[in-house]
Amino acid sequence: MKVFDIALKDLLRALRNTFFLAFGLVFPLLMAGIFHFAFGGLGDDGGVPQVRIQFASLDETGPEYGHFSAGEMLFQLLDSEELADLLQVTPSLDIESARAAVDNQEADVAVIVPAGFTAAVFDPDGRASIELYQDPTLMLGPAIVGDIVSSFVDTFAGSKITAGLAYDLIAEQGAAATEETLQDVSSRYAHWAIELKKEAGANSLIEFRSPSGDDKPAGGAVSMVALVMAGMMVFYVFFTGAASAQSILQEEEDGTLSRLFTTPTPQSTILGGKFISIFVLLVFQVVVLLAVSSLFFEIAWGDPLPVALATLGLVVVAASFGIFITSLLKDTRQTGIVYGGVMTVAGMIGMSSVFTGGASGPMDTVSLIVPQGWGVLAWRLLLEGGGLSDVLFPVAVTLALGVGFFVIGVLKFKKRFA
Amino acid sequence: MRILDLALKDLTQLIRDWKAAFFLVVMPILFTLLFGFVFSGSGGGDDPRLPVGILDHDGGNALGLYLIELLDAADSVRPVILSGEIAAVEQKVGDDDLIAAVIVPAGYSEQVLAGGQVPLTVIVDQSSPGGMSAQQGIQTAVTRLLGAVKSARLGAWVSTQSDEVQLTFLVEAVDRAVEAWKQPPLTVTVTQSGSIAANDAEAVYGTNNYAHSSSGMMIQFAMAGLMGAGEILVLERKSRALQRLLTTAISRAGIILGHFLAMFVMIFLQLALLVGFGQVALGVDYMREPLALLLLMVTLALWAASLGLLISVIAKTEEQVIIFSLIPMLLLSALSGAWIPLEFTGETFQTIGHFTPLAWAMDGFENIIIRGLGLESVLLPAGILLAYGALFFALAVWRFRFE
Repeated sequence: MKVFDIALKDLLRALRNTFFLAFGLVFPLLMAGIFHFAFGGLGDDGGVPQVRIQFASLDETGPEYGHFSAGEMLFQLLDSEELADLLQVTPSLDIESARAAVDNQEADVAVIVPAGFTAAVFDPDGRASIELYQDPTLMLGPAIVGDIVSSFVDTFAGSKITAGLAYDLIAEQGAAATEETLQDVSSRYAHWAIELKKEAGANSLIEFRSPSGDDKPAGGAVSMVALVMAGMMVFYVFFTGAASAQSILQEEEDGTLSRLFTTPTPQSTILGGKFISIFVLLVFQVVVLLAVSSLFFEIAWGDPLPVALATLGLVVVAASFGIFITSLLKDTRQTGIVYGGVMTVAGMIGMSSVFTGGASGPMDTVSLIVPQGWGVLAWRLLLEGGGLSDVLFPVAVTLALGVGFFVIGVLKFKKRFA
Repeated sequence: MRILDLALKDLTQLIRDWKAAFFLVVMPILFTLLFGFVFSGSGGGDDPRLPVGILDHDGGNALGLYLIELLDAADSVRPVILSGEIAAVEQKVGDDDLIAAVIVPAGYSEQVLAGGQVPLTVIVDQSSPGGMSAQQGIQTAVTRLLGAVKSARLGAWVSTQSDEVQLTFLVEAVDRAVEAWKQPPLTVTVTQSGSIAANDAEAVYGTNNYAHSSSGMMIQFAMAGLMGAGEILVLERKSRALQRLLTTAISRAGIILGHFLAMFVMIFLQLALLVGFGQVALGVDYMREPLALLLLMVTLALWAASLGLLISVIAKTEEQVIIFSLIPMLLLSALSGAWIPLEFTGETFQTIGHFTPLAWAMDGFENIIIRGLGLESVLLPAGILLAYGALFFALAVWRFRFE
């Protein structure tokens, strides 16, 4: 029973410690909360903010084009009801003021339609280019606008190419193409292109699949918040494991450990009690983090059995790693650099797959050189809908690593206190 | 002079602690490299376009070859011809040797030329930035390929006045249409604001993946040094060294200023080292506007030193110094867009982010290194940093205790 008394004493001390409360519980939840907020929580609709567009058109129309203006058509497309949630279009009086709005960061991108754009659409030899003038610090917004404008321009370009090709082919047959014929093939092409866009949206032209071979997009189905929460949990559970093991060094320096060794309590019982308290504390930490995150951030961690397995693997490896790394230290003065530096660097490497959104790649492989990486992998697989069979391997690795760290750590402590 | 002596004493104490160097310089460099690498795409040698593999199971028939030509004409992707099994191709994408791979199924040309619709398979990680760019490039190329087929079919139909067209005639027409698509008559041109010319792409996100991570990690770790500096003050208070100092000729204001000066110099030197690393090793052009850079570094260091002074006033123990330093460091970094650009976050988050001084510091650095703007562009960020710094400094002086 003494072993449990010692474990209970250490556990109560840890739970009263503001350091544990701050870094073990509050901080991972706070960080996940920030990402929850950043990516759509607390009132935002979850999407990116509207892209602010300045639209400047020098395009002209006239009776020869049936008063049709391709520039005006582009404005109506960008300013349409369907795109209203995505784009905020402001007509600009001239090119200079459109550019100035982007320069002054009042707009994200300026769409500049050149003079004679409509003429270039109708003229068989006409060429023109729409300019997108964008803020170089932005990627997402201008890319969205670029996709829409390119698709629009390609429809006209395709119509022109079709008309040009038809003209040449008819001429090669020894005939002359009439304007009506060319207009007919152009409009047929445009109609087809519009239909094609609808089909492209339904993925009937291209089937996308992730490198892992499944149909779901890698990482795309998992919310950023869930991935960040998993990463933060692993990061801080390892941190808590190491910080809890520090009590062995602290008691050694305070002299309380040596006094305990003079009592009839065996050394193995004393150390065993301390180790148990670390394991129990980490289980408590993981359970609280899982429960609070699923409640507040609505994270679906998966089925109970694989979640329990992943928890076991994480707790075993984090506690053992803490014991192992503490066994290498001479005194508490060395803990700052190890806990603040080594644990942070190892934790960040292990978490790197979180920042890649769970994409397969070299960073994912690199993350597995630290035990944190295996912990993150198990939780990521669960978040991606993985079951028991999926998490078995990473959990087995964490358990194996945990046993290894534990054995080395215990042997070193035994030698130290012999 | 006594203020300088006190500052020098603090600095010597900090420099002697090798842990300080680790937190102040090594960790921000490691994190800069990590974040830069994570957000990087897969470029390749002289051709910076994203590599997209093509596995042609169509037996080298026309449309597979045209797709390669159209991909090669794209700005964002470049085709890499593959052979072998799909599993091996998946592995290449999984290992990031390729950003994506297109698999052309057997019979694709025949069926599409006959008017059928056969989907291509694209292996890509749609959640990665590179994957999204490649996806767009592939979609454009595929749409143009199908557009070329449609143009050819329409051209053949009006020229022969028949629905039954010989395959060779159709392929030749497709060939012409593909040629036309390589230089389409109507295009979209992208130009960038700021004084960095479009062809000077070294310092923009598109090619320099470290532009954001370098400045982001620099402003984050400007607060890491506060742990050591704050600990010195807390220890001096606990050991009553501060009280003993009051019995000397140095004034109360002198003591506070001495410690503040040490924090300022330490953070400024840290920023200078990190700017130097970013400039020389990562090619981030901080020195484009030296005066603007200097102003931003000075105001950032003043702000961080003020925060450090405030932390050392509030904290009673060394443990609290660490907590009070790390919490604002990570919280402000996350809110300010130091980790992930604010552009990717929601509107409310962006607004709240700009209540933090670090979001303005990020804006200031981006104005220099990405937008290529000058001194005028950093006046507002520097002013806001200075205002926050003055507020923290005033609070710290107000609450400063010598015992």
